[in-house]
Amino acid sequence: MARGTLGRRVYLAANGAILFFLLAPLAVVAVFALNPTPFIQFPPVGVTTRWFQKFFASPEFMNSLWLSLQVAGAVVVLATFIGAAAALALARGRLPGSRVLTALFLAPLMLPAILTGLALFQVFQLLGLGRPTWALVIGHTLVAVPYVMRTTLAVLSDFDRRIEEAAAILGASPGRIFFEVTLPIIRPGVIAGGIFAFIVSFDQFPISLFLVTPNRETLPVVLFNYMKFDLDGAIAAASMVSILLALAVVVLIDRLVGLRATMRI
Amino acid sequence: MTTRISPVAWLAAPAGLFFVLFFLLPFGVMALFSALDGNPLQRPNVTFTGRNYARILDDSLYVESLLSTLKIGAVTTLVALLLGYPLAHWLARMRSRAGHALLLMAVIAPMLTGIVVRTFAWITILSDKGVVNATLVGLGLASAPLPLMYNELGTVIALVHIYVPFMVLTLAGVIGRIDERLEEAAMSLGASPIRAFLEVTLPLSLPGILAGSLLVFALAISAYVTPYLMGGQQVLTLPMLIYQQVAATFNLAFAGALGVVLLVVSIVLVIAYNHVLGSMARREDLA
Repeated sequence: MARGTLGRRVYLAANGAILFFLLAPLAVVAVFALNPTPFIQFPPVGVTTRWFQKFFASPEFMNSLWLSLQVAGAVVVLATFIGAAAALALARGRLPGSRVLTALFLAPLMLPAILTGLALFQVFQLLGLGRPTWALVIGHTLVAVPYVMRTTLAVLSDFDRRIEEAAAILGASPGRIFFEVTLPIIRPGVIAGGIFAFIVSFDQFPISLFLVTPNRETLPVVLFNYMKFDLDGAIAAASMVSILLALAVVVLIDRLVGLRATMRI
Repeated sequence: MTTRISPVAWLAAPAGLFFVLFFLLPFGVMALFSALDGNPLQRPNVTFTGRNYARILDDSLYVESLLSTLKIGAVTTLVALLLGYPLAHWLARMRSRAGHALLLMAVIAPMLTGIVVRTFAWITILSDKGVVNATLVGLGLASAPLPLMYNELGTVIALVHIYVPFMVLTLAGVIGRIDERLEEAAMSLGASPIRAFLEVTLPLSLPGILAGSLLVFALAISAYVTPYLMGGQQVLTLPMLIYQQVAATFNLAFAGALGVVLLVVSIVLVIAYNHVLGSMARREDLA
């Protein structure tokens, strides 16, 4: 693709434009988060931090932010354990039907999350359990497990089995091989999976929609409900916080493990 | 060919239990209740009925909404493919390590930003006072704001932005595994770069195109937030009607029936997606 210089220029220009389409919306949010007018106005008329102050001073936003962080923390623990264990079993267990199991555990990625929310809501209603916070944790864990599984499986499939075999030949017990060879090697994949689980839960919307109660809503649900009536800078400031968190996560995963390894590219 | 199952297989037990209890069982309950005429825990003499499904077919609102959901999904997928392919190709063929890492970050950062936040970003860009219209009116290029939002156009633009990273990552994985020397061989035999791409790389990346399209289509037809906020009341997708049945009328059985319709479409997509990935993996084993 690199031969004709004109062709090359068109190729790079097209890709530059697509990249702009991908990133400009995130930058635009920053403009509105700093613009003092209490409604959408462009070009901006000044710079203010009042929207960030409003966001951080509002009990409604802060309670939901805190709830989102708590749920995400619990999801990280649960999804990392479940997902990494399942990935090990699928890669090493010689399980019959492992392809079907893999498809099942990855299914929440592609099946409509709004239906996962509806189905869980219905079961909790039937059992008379209402909508406890742990229902949110369970719903989010379902969509976070596939990420942990994928990053762990990615590391497992690159991993040279002969290292484990060498340890066995040298007389290490299966337990010792697991803790001293296998676990340290897959750790980066598991950590990356845990970080993905955090951000997936923090951003989760459709499942939460069914499982929150009016006085206990996660941040995305509060933002959504706020946006139906008001589009002031507080939403932009909250969005900025969320975008910065996503950027931090991306850089963190890249530093810790390398994004490339976790994305199977 | 019977290999002994390793004790490590037991590590799948927590995931298995979790998914049976909180995934398969709830979906089963949803499907079952959508075909019953009451709650069997409260009334012992419930019977099977097709009335919820008959209601979907009887009322043109639901059929039209299904068709419009599929249409929005198809357009979103097509545009995401057109935008995603060049970027995936660039990513897969990027030689510089730093360039590759930066580009990958640029693709993944939007993906990890919440859907509500990204939809808000598009409202600030496409609304009547948004960036695009303010600029056009300010420069005198338009006398009145263009209708970029509260319609299918705005919905599709935002959906493409939200799901294009999934397309890029799927495609880049496949393009990256195509041997670049095949393209070079074609060109050294006299093919133009465009012809080498069209006759070598493009056909070899077809499984990626298929897998990425199935993935994006499945995600786009399940979207709730974006059609709700970007479509105004002009766009009524199936997920919006499903939530409405719960929030407005608390008709869980009928919501479940609508859910089953969406679920059937999604399961077909998931099976096709796994089939494409499976045959891709098998071909690599042979190669």
